[in-house]
Amino acid sequence: MEHKFDIIIVGAGGGGLFAALEAVRTNPQVSIAVVSKLYPTRSHTSAAQGGVNAALANKDRDDTVELHVFDTVKGSDYLADQDAVDYLCSQAPEVVRELENLGAPFSRFPDGTIAQRPFGGTVKDRCCYCADKTGHTLLHTLFEQCLRRGVKFFNEYFLLSLEHADGECQGIVAMNMRTSAIEAFSAKIVILATGGHAKMYWNRSSNAAGNTGDGQAAALRAGIPLKDMEFIQFHPTGLRKSGLLVTEGARGEGGYLLNRHGERFMARYAPQKMELGPRDLVARSMETEILEGNALTSDAGSYLELDLRHLGAEAIKKKLPQIRELSMHFEGIDPIEEPIPVRPTAHYSMGGIDANMARTAVSGIYAVGECACVSVHGANRLGGNSLLDILVFGKRAGQEAALEAPRRPLRRVAPSALWKAADELKSYTSHERYERYGIIREEMGKTMADKVGIYRTEERLRQGVEEIRALRERFRHIRLFDTGTVYNTNLVQILELKNMLDLALCVAETALVRQESRGSHYREDFPRRDDEAWHRHSLCTLEKGGDVRLAHKPVTMGKYSLETRSY
Amino acid sequence: MERKEVAFRIYRYNPQVDRQPFYDNFKIAVERGITILRALNYIKEHLEPRLTFRAFCQAGICGSCAVRINGVSKLACTTQVWDELTGSGDDPILVEPLNNLPVIRDLVVDIDPVMEKLKQNYSWVRPAIAEGEMGQKEHCVSDGEFEAINAATDCILCGSCYSECSMTEVNPRYISPPVLLKAFRMNNDTRDTLGCERLGQVSGDNGLWDCAHCYKCAEHCVKHIPIVDGIHRLREEMFERHMTRSEGARHAQAFFDDIRSTGRLREATLPLRTLGVVKTLRMVPLAAKMGMKGRTPPFVVKPVPGIDRVRGIYRRLEANRAAKQGGE
Ligand SMILES: Cc1cc2nc3c(=O)[nH]c(=O)nc-3n(C[C@H](O)[C@H](O)[C@H](O)COP(=O)(O)OP(=O)(O)OC[C@H]3O[C@@H](n4cnc5c(N)ncnc54)[C@H](O)[C@@H]3O)c2cc1C
Repeated sequence: MEHKFDIIIVGAGGGGLFAALEAVRTNPQVSIAVVSKLYPTRSHTSAAQGGVNAALANKDRDDTVELHVFDTVKGSDYLADQDAVDYLCSQAPEVVRELENLGAPFSRFPDGTIAQRPFGGTVKDRCCYCADKTGHTLLHTLFEQCLRRGVKFFNEYFLLSLEHADGECQGIVAMNMRTSAIEAFSAKIVILATGGHAKMYWNRSSNAAGNTGDGQAAALRAGIPLKDMEFIQFHPTGLRKSGLLVTEGARGEGGYLLNRHGERFMARYAPQKMELGPRDLVARSMETEILEGNALTSDAGSYLELDLRHLGAEAIKKKLPQIRELSMHFEGIDPIEEPIPVRPTAHYSMGGIDANMARTAVSGIYAVGECACVSVHGANRLGGNSLLDILVFGKRAGQEAALEAPRRPLRRVAPSALWKAADELKSYTSHERYERYGIIREEMGKTMADKVGIYRTEERLRQGVEEIRALRERFRHIRLFDTGTVYNTNLVQILELKNMLDLALCVAETALVRQESRGSHYREDFPRRDDEAWHRHSLCTLEKGGDVRLAHKPVTMGKYSLETRSY
Repeated sequence: MERKEVAFRIYRYNPQVDRQPFYDNFKIAVERGITILRALNYIKEHLEPRLTFRAFCQAGICGSCAVRINGVSKLACTTQVWDELTGSGDDPILVEPLNNLPVIRDLVVDIDPVMEKLKQNYSWVRPAIAEGEMGQKEHCVSDGEFEAINAATDCILCGSCYSECSMTEVNPRYISPPVLLKAFRMNNDTRDTLGCERLGQVSGDNGLWDCAHCYKCAEHCVKHIPIVDGIHRLREEMFERHMTRSEGARHAQAFFDDIRSTGRLREATLPLRTLGVVKTLRMVPLAAKMGMKGRTPPFVVKPVPGIDRVRGIYRRLEANRAAKQGGE
C-alpha cells in the first residue's frame, strides 16, 4: 500500500505537532500527514514538568535575549553552535506568546502576565510554566490546534525506514501497528520528530518506554550522520525506585538536596548557585556523594534526599502537585511530611541527527526536537531549553517545508523498500532463532548505566563498547515468539531494541574517543576540558558491516569565545 | 519487604485466533509497592509474551495504560497491587479493557471514537488575536480566570471517564464526558471566541443534555477533575446565552418552573413543554398504555406544604446570581 503526501511528519510530540501546524498555516495547499507510533497526546512531551525558557522579562525586567544566549552557550560548555542558539533564543518570546495566544494555560503573575521561575544554570528567572504540567498542556494545546486545522494523523504507525535516492528524499516505510501491514509513505519532504533515546539506560532513565531513538536509528541506517552522541544528560533528581523524574522546578521553588548527614552538600560543589547549578554539575556532585558513602541506603539502592518540607503544604500543593502525586504513588511518601528519595537518572539525549537549522544531509529530510542535534544544547542542555528547542525548530521546519514542497518533485518510495522491510519482519519469527528480548534489553540497560554512565573511564568505556557489540551480535538471533499480526507489541519491542542497540554503540564509541571532560561527558581519566583537541562535534555513520565510523565537524562560534565554565 | 503471591485474572482476546474473549489466570510473587503495570510487565516478560496492553510514560501523565481493574477504570501505572487486593487478599485481581470502546486485542481498545468526537466538537481555542499578530503580545489573564479552568486542563485523555460513562454505554453516539470537559475548558477560557458555536454543537442530539448525572465520570477520573461541575456549568451557560430552544434546555426550564410554582413536577404536561406538540403527539400511545395501567400522572398539582421555603431557596439563588453578575 502506498500513501502520497507533500509532507510527512514522523512523530506527534511538541516538535512534530508544531511543524504540522505551522506547515498548514504557511501553505494550506500542501498535503500533510503526521505518522506516529503513539496517539499524539501520549508523546513524551507530556512528561515535561518544569517549563520553557523565554526572555519575556516578566519577572526580571532586565532579562534579554542576549543573556539567554549567553546562559545557553555557557551551559553547553561551548559546544553549541552559536548561530542556532541565537535563533533559538531570539525566537523564544514569540513562540511562547504564540502558544499562549493559542490557548496554553500558562501560570500567571498577579499582573496577569505569564509567570516565570528560576531554573538551573541561568542568571535570570525566565522559565515559563503551567504549574508542573507544562509539557502536558503545551502538547494538548498543539494537538487541539492541529485538530482545528484538520491535520491528518496516522496514529499507531511505526517508522521502519527512511528512503532517499541519491540524497533526495523519497519518503518513509512504516508499519501499521494494528495490522502489521507495511506501507509506503511517499513524500517530497519528511520531517523527523521522533524524540530522544535516553531509554537505552532502561530503568536508570526518566524516559518513557518508547524513547528508543527510532528516528535517529533510521537516519543512521539511511546514511545520515548522528552528532555528539556521547552527550547524555543525567538529571539530578530521579525517584530512587523508578528513575521517574522530579522536576528541576522543585529546586527552582527552593527545594534542598541533603545527604545522609542532613547536609546541603551542594554548598561544597557550587557555593553560589547551590541546588540550582547546571544539571551535569549537580548530578555529578550527587554521584560523588553516593560514591563517597555520604548517601542513604535502602533495598532499592543508595539515594539522597530532596527536601521540600520548608516550602509549606500550600506551595507544594499549588506549584508542585504532580511531584507530590508521583512521590506518593511511586515512593509512598508525601513530600509535605518527608523528604523525597532521589538519585541521578539518564534523562535527555543532547546528541541526535546532525541537522543544520533543522535540515539534514539529505535534501528534503528535516529533523527537529530531541531526535535532532541542531546543536543548541552542546554538551549539556539547560532545563527549559528543550521544550523551547522543539517549539522553535518544529515551527521553522514546518514553515520551510511548506514553502519548499511546491518546488520539489515527488519521488516515490521504491517497492523494493517494502519487500526488504517485510523480509526483515518475517525473519524474526524464524525457528532457528533463540535469543530473548527481555534479557538483551536488561543487559543493555545495565551496560549503559555501569560502563557509559555519569563517570567514565577508558577501561569501562572499552568494556561498554565490547558488551554492546556482543549484544548486537546476539540480537541477530532474537526470536519473535508472537507471530500474530494484530497489535503485536512484541514485534514493536524488538524493533525498538534494535534501534537502541545501534545508538548505544554510537554513544559508547564516541564517549570512548572523546578524551576530555565537557558538559555531561565526564572522563575520570581526562578530567579537564581540552579545547585544543576536542572543541569540535563528533559525527557517527554506520559502515556496511555495521561498525560505527567516526568523524568530526567544527563548532560554529559567535559572540562568545571559549571560557572556563564555573558556577 | 512484604511479599505475596497474587493472582491476576486477565481478559484475553485476539481476533485472529480466538472465537470469543476469555480470561487467563496468572499467579506471581509481588512485593508491596509494585504497581499493576509492573505486574503486567512481569507477566508479559516471564509468563505470557503475547499478553497485549499499552503503556508508555509509566508516570501517570500520558494516559496510555488505562484499563479496568476490579471493574473500575484507572491507570495501571499509578495503581498499587496492594490497594486492589480484596477478600482475604487471595481473590484474583481482575484486569479488563476499558468499556464502551471496541477491543483491538486483549487490553488494547480503539480510541479513535474519542478522537472523532473531539474533532466534531470544536475542542480547541479559537483565539481573538488575528493570525498575522500571533506571538506579538500576551493576553492578560488573571489568576482567577486561570483557576476556573485549571483542573480541566489536567485531562490526559486516558479514556477512563469514557469507559465509566453510563450514557455512552447505552448510546455510543453520546458526546461523552471528556469531550464535554474540553468544551467546558474552552468555553471558560477568556481567550476563546467560539463559545456560542461550540455550545450549539455540543448541545445537539446525543449531546450535553443527555448526561444523566450518574457522576461516575467524575468519581473515577484519574486526575480527580470535577467533570460533572463542568457539564453543569455548560448547561448554565446555555441559559445565560438564552440558548433555550433545545429540548434539553426546555426540559430543564420546565423542572425549574414546576418546582418553583408547586414544589413538584407536573409530569402530565412535561412532554408538551419539553418536546413540543408534534413529538408529544407521538407519545400518545405510550400515554394510553400508561392510562390503562392506572399510571396517568395527575393534571392538577397542588403545591407541597412548605412551598414558601422552596420559593425562598429560589429567591436566594437569584439574589446570589444577581450579586455575582453585578460583580463582574
Ligand atoms: C520527565 C521529563 C521531564 C522533562 N521536563 C522538561 C522541562 O521541564 N523543560 C524542557 O524544556 N524539557 C523537558 N524535558 C525534555 C523534553 O520534554 C523533551 O526533550 C521534548 O518534549 C521532546 O519532544 P519531541 O517533540 O522531540 O519528542 P516526543 O515528545 O518524545 O515525541 C516523539 C514522537 O515521535 C513518535 N515516534 C517515535 N518513534 C516513532 C516511530 N518509530 N514511528 C513513528 N513515530 C514515532 C512518538 O509517537 C511521538 O509522537 C523533559 C523530559 C523528561 C523525560
